[in-house]
Amino acid sequence: MAMTKSKRRRITAIIRYAVLSVWAVIAFFPIYWIISTSFKLDTQWFAWPPYYFPSPPTLANYLNVWFGAEEYAQTQYAISSQKPLISLYNSMVIAATSTTLSVLLGSMIAYGVSRYRILSEVRMFQLLMLRMIPPIVVVAPLSLYYTAVGLIDTRFGLILVYFLTTLPYAVWMTKSFIDEVPLEVEQAAEILGASRWRTVFEIVLPLIRSGLVATFLFILILTWSEYLLALIITKTQVTTLPIELSKYQGSTEGRVYGRQAALAVGITVPLMIVGLIIRKHLARGFSFGMVRR
Amino acid sequence: MAVVAFSAAETPATPRATSRRHAIRRFKFSLLAPLIALFAFVLVPVLLLQLYFSFHQWTVYLGSWWDADYVGLDTFKDVLTDPRFGRAILRSLAFATGSTVGCFVFGFALAYLMYHPFRGQAFYYIIFILPMLTVPVVVAYTAEMMLYQSGPINDLISRLSGIEFKAAWLSNPDLALTTVSLLEIWNWTPFTFIIMLAGLAAIPKEPIEAAEILGASKWRIFWEVQLPLLRPVILLALVLRFLEAMAEFPKTWALFQGGPGSATETLPVYIFITTWQYFDISKGAAMSYIVMLLMIVIVLGAIQLLRREKRSLDKMYAQLEDPKEA
Repeated sequence: MAMTKSKRRRITAIIRYAVLSVWAVIAFFPIYWIISTSFKLDTQWFAWPPYYFPSPPTLANYLNVWFGAEEYAQTQYAISSQKPLISLYNSMVIAATSTTLSVLLGSMIAYGVSRYRILSEVRMFQLLMLRMIPPIVVVAPLSLYYTAVGLIDTRFGLILVYFLTTLPYAVWMTKSFIDEVPLEVEQAAEILGASRWRTVFEIVLPLIRSGLVATFLFILILTWSEYLLALIITKTQVTTLPIELSKYQGSTEGRVYGRQAALAVGITVPLMIVGLIIRKHLARGFSFGMVRR
Repeated sequence: MAVVAFSAAETPATPRATSRRHAIRRFKFSLLAPLIALFAFVLVPVLLLQLYFSFHQWTVYLGSWWDADYVGLDTFKDVLTDPRFGRAILRSLAFATGSTVGCFVFGFALAYLMYHPFRGQAFYYIIFILPMLTVPVVVAYTAEMMLYQSGPINDLISRLSGIEFKAAWLSNPDLALTTVSLLEIWNWTPFTFIIMLAGLAAIPKEPIEAAEILGASKWRIFWEVQLPLLRPVILLALVLRFLEAMAEFPKTWALFQGGPGSATETLPVYIFITTWQYFDISKGAAMSYIVMLLMIVIVLGAIQLLRREKRSLDKMYAQLEDPKEA
């Protein structure tokens, strides 16, 4: 029973599509579920049997959570504060500042390593320890130290630790881009009398700008979703969105799934957009530039 | 592929060359200065404080921390004889190993099915990386919304299988750690997937084509040609995922807070509970120190491995760019 080659190929293709589609459903269903819950009325949040589609869809969760719209706050599920908007602002400021710092100074170090070998290969790998040792082992002394120097519960305090923990990614990722720039350009600039700093800022960094943007967005993903350090360092004054979301998990409020979902969708969607923009660079980012495409 | 372009050592020692050498040294130092400042003002004080608390008895209920009593190695003894700590280590290792293997199997399988171009590839790629782009706390709360006993997941499984399925994903102590591991696998399979996909795309075509001409089966090509070429990427994916899983905190904490009972009390969770719920700063610090040393040993091993594999990766990329270099 010899199958023709084209027939066998078609069977392989069908199997491939079947397997991939099964995983696509597994990967997407939870995301679908949280999006659909965010549009459900409060009677459908944990009804039996479960509602697989919001019927009818409502914007009440969004209006209540994000804008504190009281008319949607039925007594039991009332969430009437504008806190999420403040947290959104904090998250944006903290993520943008720490990421900018990290990419800017990280690329300086990367340039030094690539062209002047300011860090040996071993040191470069030791730098990775900043990322590979679980942050939980330093959070208690960090919080006491921050209390002592007045950085606890401040945006700057969080910016500083995010800068420190994302620096290995920034250095390694930008270095992988700088390594790809041919040396001749810089040697030409040197002969023409450009200073070293000018060479860096006006020649090398502009040449790798798409790489810098990718690095920036990649690190933005990490800082935007960080949880543990934000939980420890920020208490009341400054909260980021992941911490704001976890506050809705109180036993006092009961299960406010729809509201939580509306908040969660608002946190995750920007992240997904950013991630999809740099989807070609994600492998390079997560592997510290070791794997390239 | 580190290239040293401007080497100061080779120039003869004329006054101009000396001043140039000094300028280069200044330049190199100013590139590094932020890193040194960061170490000096953040990392070093924090590590010293941690050392201090490990050797002094202090909880937040006592007075000011700077006159805490010196207790020597007592806290360390306390931690090392604490059976809860030992169980937390085992739990962490089990969680990290299980989820790493899970991520690897699924991620590699998907990458293998996808590395040849086909219709709809871009669509599947986008869907497959979405879980990685979900905030971990959001993963935890979504899991809670889906996994309660009469929730959609049990309902769907019951409908598909026709058997009444009522797993207590969240409240059964025997199941809780598995639940978190499954979440970790769902969350991070995309990581292995993209790394393996990039690896598969980068392996040279010639050896595979040669094996095909010689009539080797797909199975043999996979085991004897592709897999050895992929070794650096495979090890990279395993090592990085394992280390991240050892540090996993947000999902485990947001969903379970160590419970039910102490079923999901992994190392990060136990340290967190000791420090922020029992306020036993000293014990938390001593525990942190032991975990840090343990992780340093693991990480140093991992680094050794990564260094070796990065070299073979760099060589592979160099060959892809310029086949003559082989």
